[in-house]
Amino acid sequence: MTIPQLQAIDLLALGPLLVLLFGALLMLFIESFFEKFAQKYSWVLTLAILGLGLLSAATAPASENALLTPWLRFDDAARFFTILFLAIGFGCTLLASSFFRVFQASQGEYYFLLLSAIFGLILIGGSADYLTLFLGIETLSLSLYILTGFMKRWKLSHEAALKFFLMGALATAFLVYGIAMMYGGAGTTRLDLLFSAYKKITDSSERTLFLAGAAFITAGLAFKAAVVPFHIWAPDVYEGAPTPVTAFLAVGSKLGAFAALYRVFLEELPNFDAMWNQGISVLAYLSIIYANLLALRQTHLKRFFAYSGISHAGFMLIPIAAETPASAHALLFYFVVYAAATLCAFAVISLLEKKPEGVTMHDLKGLYKRAPFAAGLLTLALLTLAGVPPTAGFFAKFYLFKAAFQAGYIGLVIVGLLATVVAIYYYLRMVAMMFAVQEEKEAVVGVQWSAVVLGSVVALFIAYLSVHPAPLLEVLSWAVK
Amino acid sequence: MHTLLNLFMIPFNGAFIVFVIGTATSRHLKTVAALLSLIPLAMLLTHPQGWLGSMVQVPWIPFLSIEFFLSVDGLSLLFLYLTAIIVPLSILAVESKHTPSQRTLFSLILILQGLLIGFFTSRDLALFTIFWEAMLIPLYFIIAGWGKEHKEQAAMKFIIYMIAGSSLMVAAVLALYFSGSHDSFNMDTLASAASASRYAPFICAVFLLAFAVKTPLFPFHAWLPDAYYQAPLAGTILLSAILSKAGIYGIARIGIGFFPALLKEWSPLLLGLAIAGTLYAALVAWKQNDYKRLIAYSSLSHVNFILAGLFVWHEPAQTGAILQAFNHGITIGALFLAAGWLERRLGSTYMDGAMGLAKYMPRLCWITMLFVLSSVALPGTNNFIGEFMVLFGLFGQSGWLAALLGLTVILTVIYMLRFMQSIYFGKASAYKHGWVDLAPKELLLAVPLAFLIFWVGLHPGPLLSLSKTPTSAATATAALEPS
Repeated sequence: MTIPQLQAIDLLALGPLLVLLFGALLMLFIESFFEKFAQKYSWVLTLAILGLGLLSAATAPASENALLTPWLRFDDAARFFTILFLAIGFGCTLLASSFFRVFQASQGEYYFLLLSAIFGLILIGGSADYLTLFLGIETLSLSLYILTGFMKRWKLSHEAALKFFLMGALATAFLVYGIAMMYGGAGTTRLDLLFSAYKKITDSSERTLFLAGAAFITAGLAFKAAVVPFHIWAPDVYEGAPTPVTAFLAVGSKLGAFAALYRVFLEELPNFDAMWNQGISVLAYLSIIYANLLALRQTHLKRFFAYSGISHAGFMLIPIAAETPASAHALLFYFVVYAAATLCAFAVISLLEKKPEGVTMHDLKGLYKRAPFAAGLLTLALLTLAGVPPTAGFFAKFYLFKAAFQAGYIGLVIVGLLATVVAIYYYLRMVAMMFAVQEEKEAVVGVQWSAVVLGSVVALFIAYLSVHPAPLLEVLSWAVK
Repeated sequence: MHTLLNLFMIPFNGAFIVFVIGTATSRHLKTVAALLSLIPLAMLLTHPQGWLGSMVQVPWIPFLSIEFFLSVDGLSLLFLYLTAIIVPLSILAVESKHTPSQRTLFSLILILQGLLIGFFTSRDLALFTIFWEAMLIPLYFIIAGWGKEHKEQAAMKFIIYMIAGSSLMVAAVLALYFSGSHDSFNMDTLASAASASRYAPFICAVFLLAFAVKTPLFPFHAWLPDAYYQAPLAGTILLSAILSKAGIYGIARIGIGFFPALLKEWSPLLLGLAIAGTLYAALVAWKQNDYKRLIAYSSLSHVNFILAGLFVWHEPAQTGAILQAFNHGITIGALFLAAGWLERRLGSTYMDGAMGLAKYMPRLCWITMLFVLSSVALPGTNNFIGEFMVLFGLFGQSGWLAALLGLTVILTVIYMLRFMQSIYFGKASAYKHGWVDLAPKELLLAVPLAFLIFWVGLHPGPLLSLSKTPTSAATATAALEPS
């Protein structure tokens, strides 16, 4: 038997991962030896690395090397996830560069950790085995633990990082335990063999082992995705983390966990057991109801977005519970819309940020007068998150509901729609704040160009999606094949 | 037929143009916006008959089976005319001197016009829902941005009521979609399958609730007084003259078009609510000490009258009700306009301050009087035709109910004349600064409305032929189309 060798084509297929790996190491190297240069240009370098990664992702061929295929996928879904996570990386880099213009910190390490986290995300999106999936999640999580406490002088950050680490470690334990149990039941860690292995199980104790494993894995991923009742860490961590890291938590890490759910359950274990689907629908109910009610009471914007994120996680569970043929497609579309709208909102938040305590609702007061452009961007982002037509958020929700309705989850549709009423109240309350007249002396809105660029580009993208969502849906339909 | 697509697109382009011009200068912005908003009216008037049957049908989001499908029939055309008349009116009603960020306001109104044109012509149920909810957003901003003292609360109350009322509409739309065998939201195919659906009563109830809140049907009107009162003049005109008609259009298009049997079955209850609403609102209007609130309740009373006409299961009554929807739009817009002019001169909307203003502002007085006469349905004015047809239809079913509904005509006379008397007639108060009569510009705006009121009143034939519910529309459209 000959051992297959890695060819040039395989290296190209691994391109995005390799680019990020060496890019991240380069950032660390520059930070160690050329600190001044790193302070000034590391964000440009990071953008260049991400750009190179995008280029390589767009052109990467599929590898058929037996050394790689048991571990990594090179299908269109993997390509989609790679591009999505790199784009999120772009957004978070721009946010970080605007953040570091207000707050001083060493930047090289930051971008090293950010690139590592994105590396982990891409690994999740392309995983073909529990081993790579777990590696991806851990790479992501370890980077994020450090990033959360990155501002060494911020007390709140310390607390957040510790909480996040403890909770995250617990979630990891759940995940590993679940994987072990599923391996015990099915005898494999390869995702593509799980379904047939499960169908072959005749012994009831093995079936129980498999199902318990599925439950533990779901719980572990639900921790990462911040789904009720595994969400307790989210508001504190979101509040304590530096704003670009909060944005990454809200978009990157959440969608990473959902990418894992997508890969394992939606793709490889479709409708393997009705009990699991019912469990997911319960989580969806809980998340939507709980998060929407608590979001009503938030005044701190980062905490608010934690609850808004939990509610959106609830919505993203709807198609996973429904598992119709359209589910995967609807979910991917929701990913894109949610990521775009959240990044747009965080771009505006980073424009307003002046002090470590962050931005509160009160700081939004009279924003329309002070900075009409920023107010417009935030309004668009909030309306999209609320799912008001004719924004793309409406289509995203409509598609989810259509899938859920088809699968007979009418209760979820109705709860989701009623929650939208509450959501519109709390999102519009922020909009009303911005358009209200301000009595006190006016705080100046900073102009950090990187955040302005991010906000404008994402807003244009949302506007385009709202008028003409068909092309993106077409592209996404290749990914779900 | 791309003219319909142009009709739909022109307001959006207009909004963009106004917004761009507005960044440079605010001079003549109102004129530009008004001219842009008049283009749809000009387009409609150049081919009065050619519009019937014109359509645009292109796939929009194939994965969701949503088509961009607009089409014009008689019912659509009637409401298109109303939109094309009222939107320029609301723009011209804006006082250009004291209004901040006008470019945003005019852009919002123009966007609303485009959305309304889309709403009144869409034949894809998903598209219909999108326009239905989308039109709330510009209105929310118009109220919250340019309204009176408590504008934010009023705007929030307005939009929460609206969204809550129509929140389950998406579920109803999906239920209809999955009950049909076709993979589309085409309203024509869905209409025929709707009654057969297992969930038909629920679906119909959800739609009716949405329309009832927007119109509003008694007792879903709690948002109305605040929204009408706090909104700026342009917003009040838009709310009362067109937004309420969107609900009526919805009942005619979806309620009567999709679920005729169910509506017929429920008609006693709905008719009861509508008649109760008519009387209730008329009595509340009588008690008001504020003329803007008085007219707001008068509007509520009259839209419930229209709804009563729709819920009487009788063809002339329904035709009359739809014509009355158009008439009410014109009359209430005109009344709020006249009230707005008065408010600008008095600085308040209370009725116990100034008196005998006819002495200082005779032209405003007589113009208001004319609109009031139209509102009380004097023979020869537009409202007479519609209300008469509704009462006639109702009389055929129950003389008692017709008498009860007829009572509101008398109540309208009472509260309207009370308003006229306390403000314009009686012993004149001492002159105060700013009590000037209508300027020629304002008069120029009032005269076409007055003309329209009499034209419809004396020659209702052309509009009546358009005022058909979808069930009777098929034959009417066939008769109207040039062979």
